[in-house]
Formats: sequence, structure tokens, C-alpha cells
Amino acid sequence: MIQRRTLLAASLATPALAQTLTRVQLRLKWLPQTQFAGFYLAVERGHYRAEGLDLTINPGGPNIQGETIVASGAEQFGLTGGTDSFFAARERQLPVLCIGITHQITPFVFVAKRASNINNLEDFRGKRVTAWFTGAHLVLYGMLASRGITRESVNIQPQQVSVTPFINGETDVCAATWYNELNIIRARLGGDANLRLFAAEDFGISIPRDTLVVNQAFAGANPRAVEGFLRASIKGWREAKAEPAAALESVMKIAPTLDRAHQIAMLPEAIRLMQAGPAATQGLFALDAGVILRAHDFFVEQRVLQAPLDLAAAFRPEFLNAIPLAERMA
Amino acid sequence: MLRAALPILLLFALWEAAVIGLAIDPFYLPSIRVVAAAMQAQAPFYLDAYLVTLSEAALGFAMGGLVGVGSALLFTRLPVVKDMVLPIFIVSQTVPVIAFGAIVVLWFGNTLMAKAAIAFYLTFFPVTINTLAGIAAVDPRQVALLRSFGARQGAIMRKLLLPSALPRIFTALRLSASLALAGAIVGEWFGATRGVGAMLLAAMFNEQIVSLWASILVAAAVGGTLFAAVALAERAMVFWREEL
Repeated sequence: MIQRRTLLAASLATPALAQTLTRVQLRLKWLPQTQFAGFYLAVERGHYRAEGLDLTINPGGPNIQGETIVASGAEQFGLTGGTDSFFAARERQLPVLCIGITHQITPFVFVAKRASNINNLEDFRGKRVTAWFTGAHLVLYGMLASRGITRESVNIQPQQVSVTPFINGETDVCAATWYNELNIIRARLGGDANLRLFAAEDFGISIPRDTLVVNQAFAGANPRAVEGFLRASIKGWREAKAEPAAALESVMKIAPTLDRAHQIAMLPEAIRLMQAGPAATQGLFALDAGVILRAHDFFVEQRVLQAPLDLAAAFRPEFLNAIPLAERMA
Repeated sequence: MLRAALPILLLFALWEAAVIGLAIDPFYLPSIRVVAAAMQAQAPFYLDAYLVTLSEAALGFAMGGLVGVGSALLFTRLPVVKDMVLPIFIVSQTVPVIAFGAIVVLWFGNTLMAKAAIAFYLTFFPVTINTLAGIAAVDPRQVALLRSFGARQGAIMRKLLLPSALPRIFTALRLSASLALAGAIVGEWFGATRGVGAMLLAAMFNEQIVSLWASILVAAAVGGTLFAAVALAERAMVFWREEL
């Protein structure tokens, strides 16, 4: 009898709960990996549900443009390329807003082997340098320009996903994210002692990446949901930092064939990028107007953006600011 | 069964012998034993991928087969419709599947239907064309004979045209089985969380060579299952084939 009553109660309670949850989707910029561990952990622990959101995480991939999917309204949230791809989306007048920045500094570096005698940027001249032509090439152009090196003097080629050509010596310099490719290169070439790294920040350039974007109409109609999404995500990331093993498992559960050691190495680097720059004082996902403006001006100077954008309309810190700063500090 | 299994086992033996004998770098070709062990270690995951992709491909394949045969019958019955619609079918096939995939995923989202739609897109056309060709190849004197017995159009279709076209329809279905698999895999390249395509993509981009080969084997298993299903259906339905 008790059992039947429990069942009855459960059957009544479930639909009621389901009704109060808003179904939303988050589109990632790449395949599942610990770069996104905080989001997966937040789902696993029900943080989005606690905010009234039934969140599904959809992985990205090579053919996926997060801003386009979010702009179409098919999905509400996106963790997209970066300030570069977001500026481009706003220039095309896609109805997307940036509600947070994940990686507060340029998340990639250019890597050369010490043995190749490339000791400074000037040594790039005449060398085979690869960069992803999705934005990293512009950072390279900017770095070269800051030293008065012409692009033509360097043999710049588009970089494919694999860093094997660099490891095998087919190219001299390649781009590598701190959290992913650099770990592969370190593992295969025997650590930093054999490498020389060139970071954009050392040349006065900073391009924050992994932007959190939301569909403009959705945000207008559901500001509480956007706040809730951020609150749950921050909670997930704070826990990912405190409990990296649990964060790792939440990702491995989704993609069990991933290389565990590589994923373990990825997480702290991703978190370091999230806590860098303005996040140190303004908390996770901080939208620092000065940093954004400098990145914006860089792309205007590079003639990637045809005209300056209305940054105040595109970057919306009000959702983040609704969460007390103490809760946002990692 | 043994006739099918033997060449596969032989291929695996050859693979293993080559890896050991030629000391091939595992980055280029890992040992089949290592691949099998990886699959065994994550058996539920690989089985899930197999079932997900199989259901996507099978659904798209079934839709493609039905629409293909259906439209060929319609075109035979109403040549005006054929003249109007067939050019659209042909133009539709010139859209690269990867571009079509992006649109389908925007329409259907991350669903089984999205992948089935791409599998359908790749399969319906060969079936349409081959059914049409099969019907066209029927001897007009046979049609005239049936008509002289007073057979109506529907009866001629059921009793003569469709059975005569069956061998060609099945040839098209055999081809479509592998196309449906390709369609489902391409569909999974647009942000799917499960399936052989998602596995292949992750393995490729993470340079996990063992799981890449494991994914290829699972893809082959899906293709083999579809192909076997078509062959069985053919054996049951085109029982007179030997006579042809």
C-alpha cells in the first residue's frame, strides 16, 4: 500500500517538476574534454536543475559554428571560439550576446624546438610557421607587426588539427593551446627544456577566448534563466577546481575512450587560463571592458573588423553582476 | 556464416602478421589485439555506438528505399510528374552532403532524425533511378500480353513491372546500405554525443589511433549488418534470381 502511494506521489510529482524546468542547450566549441569539465560536473550534480534549467550539453567539432547555432535559436547558450569569432558574429549582426569570457588571456602560444635555433621572433624569418586560420594567424600577424617583421618574410601556413607535422620536424613553429596541444608536444618532445614558447601577451596582444554567448531574444525574455545558467556554471567550475578527480570523471563518463592522462593534464591549465587576468579580481567569466576593448581595437587595426562595434550592446555583464562577487571567485 | 567469417579472420591474421613481421609503428597501424582489447575494455560504449548508428542508418535507409521505389512507381504511372520532379531529385544530389548536413542539424537539432535524414538523402536517389531502369527494361510485349488478358495498370505494376524490377532494386539497396552508413556518420559529425561518427571524430582529432581503428571496425560492423539484412531480404524476395 505504501509502495503504491509512493508511486502515486512520484507520478504526480515528476510532471510538476518537469514543468518548472526550462529546457536549454549549451553548444560547446569542441569535442568533450576537461577544457569543459566545469559544465559537465554542474550537469552531473544537478546545479542547472537547481536553477530551474534542464540543460543538455552538445559537443562542438570542426564543422560547427557556435554563434550561428545560438543565433538561429535552435540552442540557447554557446561556448564559442572567442572574442575573435564573437566580434565577427556581431559584425554579421547575428543576434547573440556575450555573457562571460572563459579564458581570460590568449589560450595558445607559438612553439619552436630549442634545437631549431629559433630564439626570438626575428628568427621566424624564412621559417615554416603554422597557425590555425580561425584567428590564431591574426595574433601571429600582430606579434610580427609589433617587432616590425613583415608577414611576407615568414613562411606562414594554415595549421591542421594535428601537431604531428611539427613534432616530426616538417614545420618549425606551430600554434598550441596551453591546455591541449602544448601538453602533447611536451609529452612527445620531452618537456619545456626542449621548447621555446612565444606568448602573445609578451608582444602586447591579448585575445581572450572561449566566450559564453546567449541567444539575444532568449536572454531578453528569460534574464533569470541566463543568471541561473551562469550561477550553475560557476558553481560547477569552482567544484572542478576543488575536486579535479570528480571533474575528470564527469567528462570520462561522457567520452570514455579519451586519454585519461592527457585529460588530467588539461584541466589545471584550463582553470589557470580561467583565473588569469581580470578574473583574479573580478571572478570567473569576468567581462573586463578594458581587455575587451584592446582585443577589439587589435582586430580593427588588423582590418579584420571593417568598423568599430558597439561593445556595450554586445558584451552584457549584468547577468554576471547579479551574482555576488564572492560566489564568482574561484 | 563460416564462409563470411573465414575471410575476416584471415584478414585479421594478415593484419597481425604485418604489424609484427614488418614492425609497423603503432601510430600508423596498431596491432589488432590492442584494438580488440580497447574495444573489450569499453564494450558497452562501443556497443552503444553500434546500435545508435545502426538505428540512424537503418531508419534513413528504410525511408530512402520506400521513397525511392514509391517515386519510381509514381513516375512510371504519371510521366508528367516524372518530368517535373526527377530534375529536382537530380539537382538535390549535387548539394554536397557536408553542406546538407549543416542545414539538417539546424533543422532537426541533435536528434536521431537529423542523421536519418542525411542517410535518407544519400539513399533515395540510387533506388529511384534503378527502379525506373528496372521497370523500363521490362519487355513491352509482356506488358501487351497481360493487357490483352484484360489486366489493369495496377495489376501489371504488381504482377509484372515491380517483380521484374526487383533484382535491380536490390542492387540499388545493396549500394544504398553503405551510403546510409556514410550518411549517418556524416550526420554525427555535427555535434552528436553518441554513435560511430562521434567516436571517429574524437579519435581522429585526439590522435587516438587505437580508438580510431576500433571505430572503423564498429563502422564496418554497422555496414555489414545493413548489407546482410538486404542480402537476406533479397534471398527471400527474389527467389528466382538464379534463373536470370
